[in-house]
Amino acid sequence: MTAHVAASQLRRHAPGRGALVATGLIVTLIVLLFATGRLEARRWEPFLLPSTWLFLARGLLVTLVVAGVSLVASLVFGVVLGIARSALSGPGRWIVAALIEIVRATPILAILLVVYIAMLRTGITREAVVAGIVGLTIYNSAVIGEIVRAGIASIPRGESEAARSLGLTYGQMMRWIVLPQALARMTPALVSQLITLIKDTSLLFIIAAPELLSFGKSFFNFYGNLLETYFVIGCIFFAINYPLSRLARRLEAGREPAERLAVTGEEELVASVATAPATPALQRRSPVP
Amino acid sequence: MTFPTLDDNASLFVQGYLTTLQLSLGAIALSLVLGTFVATVRVWGGPVLASIARGYVEFFRNTPLLVQLLFLAVLLAPANLNVTREPFLAALIGLGVYTGAYVSEVVRSGILSVDARQIEAARTLGLTQLDAIRYVVLPQAIRTVIPPLGNLAIALVKNTAIAGGIAVNELLKASGIIESRTFQFTPYYAMLVAYWTMTLPLAWLVGRLERRLAFTR
Repeated sequence: MTAHVAASQLRRHAPGRGALVATGLIVTLIVLLFATGRLEARRWEPFLLPSTWLFLARGLLVTLVVAGVSLVASLVFGVVLGIARSALSGPGRWIVAALIEIVRATPILAILLVVYIAMLRTGITREAVVAGIVGLTIYNSAVIGEIVRAGIASIPRGESEAARSLGLTYGQMMRWIVLPQALARMTPALVSQLITLIKDTSLLFIIAAPELLSFGKSFFNFYGNLLETYFVIGCIFFAINYPLSRLARRLEAGREPAERLAVTGEEELVASVATAPATPALQRRSPVP
Repeated sequence: MTFPTLDDNASLFVQGYLTTLQLSLGAIALSLVLGTFVATVRVWGGPVLASIARGYVEFFRNTPLLVQLLFLAVLLAPANLNVTREPFLAALIGLGVYTGAYVSEVVRSGILSVDARQIEAARTLGLTQLDAIRYVVLPQAIRTVIPPLGNLAIALVKNTAIAGGIAVNELLKASGIIESRTFQFTPYYAMLVAYWTMTLPLAWLVGRLERRLAFTR
């Protein structure tokens, strides 16, 4: 029995076979490309130089700073929006709900573009990075607001009623009873959203902000190795996001099914599955006829 | 030299809208087929195939769609058949393959929710393994995951905007062209409203389905 448990734990902590095979797939792809003459060794040579990596690291730094600042800002706004949507009643609630739904229904690239052009026109700033951070924050605040709302809704009503009947004010109840538990349940969804956010920073490339992809572009303008640069940049993103997705999965696995908000990535999914406690649809058993 | 008329801009906008619709529908179909196939392989494909499928899912979910599209556009470029359709094809494949990774995760969770004994029962009744999967498990699995799949469809429609980055003249790109011609902000307002005409009804539909499922549970 103990041996069995130990073995299964060992298996869980062993590096994923998937990662290994992903590497295998990538190698196969490269070999195929070589065989068809699409890749030549000399096109990869720049990646052997330390200066290349120093150069790309500068772009990566911008990407990470943009993601970090947007994350912190959207967490603040998202928590406010989420609490507002749960706490308000009447027209206030409808306005917050409509705001969240409309922002979530808009492509993030459209938000980035509109914010950037609006800032240019009104002369607020010419810095694409600033517009990018603002755009990413608008979108992610709405998504995190929805995650927070779902998290709050997942805490059994009896707890808040008990807290209120013990004489806690609404604020105290939120602060000490509901939010701590809700935040714990939301963590996996928030980590998944961070992955989406990091991926979305690459869209700043389209409004010409100097992030990783833009640095890559000036790099391949110089060396003329387009495909290789895109590939390496994809791998850099993978190296950041894969550990995060493993973390999200592990956080998820440590919870009771009833406490789970969501399992699978992409933010839209997270928020929607979150509205139903413990994905009951997936546990339903159909009787055998 | 002729100045662009309102007509030019309007038809460009409508074309962009239609391109976005085409791209969305095509990629949704592709991602559903691919995702269901990959999910089936991950559950019943044996260790080697399942690992390959998992590698595909992890890689495509953890890298930005824009990078994937750019890569694919360059990769397909010399396969030159028709210059104007080519970015569209790259975007279609890219969006389908990217979303397929998400679809496979959703469908897989649906498959795992169906009682494994149902396959045994189906086999006893004389169905082959493949028929049992095809006629017994998948119909139930897909029904339970329709709301999350709907959400993925919404995400996909929104992601078509990124195809503008590889020179597909979809809604966002078309609006940008009109904006640079007219130097007015109106095309962007129109663009936002146009996206909402696609995503908001879908979101409403998904919400309705979710509530209905929650009720019958």
